[in-house]
Amino acid sequence: MLTAFALIIFTVELQLPTLAPVPGMKLGLANIITVYAVYSFSAGETAMVVAVRVLLGSLIAGNMVSLVYSLAGGLLCLAGMLLLRRVIDKKHIWVCSILGAVLHNIGQTAAAIVMMQTKTVIAYLPFLLVSGCIAGALTGMAAQLVVSRLNK
Amino acid sequence: MIRSQKFWIAVCAVIFAASAVWCILVLTGSHGNTVTVKQDGRVIFTLDLSKETDREFTVEYEGRKNIIEISGGRIRMKAADCPDHVCVNTGWLTANIPIVCLPNKLVIEYAEPDTGLDATAG
Repeated sequence: MLTAFALIIFTVELQLPTLAPVPGMKLGLANIITVYAVYSFSAGETAMVVAVRVLLGSLIAGNMVSLVYSLAGGLLCLAGMLLLRRVIDKKHIWVCSILGAVLHNIGQTAAAIVMMQTKTVIAYLPFLLVSGCIAGALTGMAAQLVVSRLNK
Repeated sequence: MIRSQKFWIAVCAVIFAASAVWCILVLTGSHGNTVTVKQDGRVIFTLDLSKETDREFTVEYEGRKNIIEISGGRIRMKAADCPDHVCVNTGWLTANIPIVCLPNKLVIEYAEPDTGLDATAG
């Protein structure tokens, strides 16, 4: 159910024009679902939602190469947020979301360095981090609204 | 301290500020005229842009093609048949940001600047 929601949002976002000429930079609206799941379900359930979303998302986008980058970023982000869930309360979900986005960017870039075998792609990391912080804050606030409305 | 919400907000602020500074460093960093074209981690071309004549050439990877154009001492990915066209949209190679075609594992980048006297002189 949640995975379906995330996939719908992901597919809609695919139709949006790319705002910046940086590979891997995007809003990540589907991550609202991930953040919501982190704060509402167990670690295992959330991992399932994320894994299926990333796999099917790559199929829909028709770009299996990007799967490696998404997976590396997504799993690192997930692991980080599940740990942060213990120390960051439900009133500060957006903080957790920003840190998750940062971890996602680091994972993506690490995967790119391994895949392309050139460390110069690290030049993209600061740009991804700046956009990740902003996008992470926005998706985090959206997720916070969802969590507070649904978990009453 | 690790349980304090303020601590984590501060961490976010520090990361944001540090990456903004890092962006500026990347954009203003110096580079030479030597450009390398790498495919799958191997250097397939090393080009001195100040000496190259204007031309186009094609690089193939698993049947897919990238057309690289050199013009007036600049280099860019002119066309690619990958699905996302991020490399083409990057435009001409500027600063120290490499042009990357993720699906075709192709990278155009300035060579490491610390390999000769040119870097310190220029």
